[in-house]
Amino acid sequence: MTALPFESIIGAWVATGLTLLIFSFLYKDNPLFKLAEHLYVGVSVGYVIVKTYDTVIIHLVVKPIVENGEIALLIPVAIGMLMLTRYVPKAAWMSRYAFAFIVGMGAGLAIPRTVSSFILKQVEDTIRPLLSMAGSDGVTFSMNLLNPASHLNAIIILLGVSSVLFYFFFSIEHSGVGKAVARTGILFLMISFGAGFGYTVMARMSLLIGRLTDLIEFSDASYGRPTVWLSLLTVGALFLLARRGREQPPDIH
Amino acid sequence: MSFSERMLKIDRRIIFLMIGLCTLLPLLYPVGLPIKISSEVRGVYDHIESLPERSVFLLSIDFDPASKPELYPQAIALLRHAFRKHLRVVTMTLWVSGTGMADQLVTQVAKEMGKEYGTDYAFLGWSPGGQAVIINMGQDLYSAFPSDYSGKSTKDLPVLDGVRSLKDVGYMVSLGAGRPGVEEWYVFGKDKYKFELGGGCTGVMAPGLYPLLRSGQINGLIGGLRGAAEYENLIGQKGKAVAGMDAQSATHLAIIALVIMCNLFYFSLRQQRG
Repeated sequence: MTALPFESIIGAWVATGLTLLIFSFLYKDNPLFKLAEHLYVGVSVGYVIVKTYDTVIIHLVVKPIVENGEIALLIPVAIGMLMLTRYVPKAAWMSRYAFAFIVGMGAGLAIPRTVSSFILKQVEDTIRPLLSMAGSDGVTFSMNLLNPASHLNAIIILLGVSSVLFYFFFSIEHSGVGKAVARTGILFLMISFGAGFGYTVMARMSLLIGRLTDLIEFSDASYGRPTVWLSLLTVGALFLLARRGREQPPDIH
Repeated sequence: MSFSERMLKIDRRIIFLMIGLCTLLPLLYPVGLPIKISSEVRGVYDHIESLPERSVFLLSIDFDPASKPELYPQAIALLRHAFRKHLRVVTMTLWVSGTGMADQLVTQVAKEMGKEYGTDYAFLGWSPGGQAVIINMGQDLYSAFPSDYSGKSTKDLPVLDGVRSLKDVGYMVSLGAGRPGVEEWYVFGKDKYKFELGGGCTGVMAPGLYPLLRSGQINGLIGGLRGAAEYENLIGQKGKAVAGMDAQSATHLAIIALVIMCNLFYFSLRQQRG
């Protein structure tokens, strides 16, 4: 058996330790969990700052200007620098130009594309399957519920879209037929929330499976069994903290 | 206090322990429950299968370590498939916090498959701007990524021969854990520059992406760890996702049982109180 590289072993110990510290919250909120939580936030922010500085400032701004003489890059740099004027109260108004540029460009890029992709395309997809019922060889209708492209499913989708839209139409009182349609809309919404919740449970369980898989892997002797030793250490620390908490009741003043 | 009342006020730590055991035991003693392949996962697989050798496959690793358990196995399975098909694999990320992880992932799978950097694959790294990067790549890939992750000029990479923009990409898959992700690649990429797009996402995001799948806006979708397990089965190389499926089924069963029991106790208590 080949020995693992030293950095892999260190990585395994750090990952195991932090996982167990985070899991300790399941027992109750405690300083070990807080330590891991703060470490996570600090390391994440530090990593993003360093990566952004290296990629943006060094590779996309400084190097092209200094090495390739791409002077045009000074224009976006100047617009970006205007953002920093917010820290100088007298010059803060200048930052509005930068914000105006970002908001204007963002809206200009996003609005037409979003309308095309999420409204027009989806409306088209809701109606198109119904139009396909009337083909060259007369009217056809497929009843297969398991086939997403069947005509029956197309009608269910049309019913769902119409009734949910009606439910959110508040200018008319939901009574009589309107009440039935709105109730149908609620039914579709409930099914949608249920599906969403089911997928969320699946996702959260996947995260737990991921961490436990790593903990099982790191209980191997080749890593020095960090799972075993650090589990004992975490349980011991929680026990000591709980005892100290009992001996020193919290100051209520 | 009645039995129902006591059960409804049960210490939540007992439930955590139960879920923990339901996850841990199947991981330690796997049963190997069958995994059915869904049409949405097959969509991605079939498209990669249909690509001729040396086609350009662009994989955007749009997640960070927080979503690693779900999306990492998807990325590994996709890369193994693409390398096995001898495609030219170009990888990148729109998430700055996922840069190091993405580099490690691509390097690890490429090494395992005996692929050479620059000729068979490349990792372009991260470029700021999210949706603007996609638009920029649609116009000129080299302007969005003048250099790769290691600082080499992208114009000198043989893997990018004949590729000027997104229009020259044979197939593109975004593995997204949020924004920017699959939706942005469709809205600002495929819809404008007309290339074939597939998606992979976390379980939480999957219901929101199904409308794009049904309308053909994306040709396939790998959803969560389950999707990864299906893909691993399709390529015949079982990994961490397949190993986790027994645990996933066990926890789902436990949660269904808890929901039913909780409802039964609730209604029984309501009946007792009249």
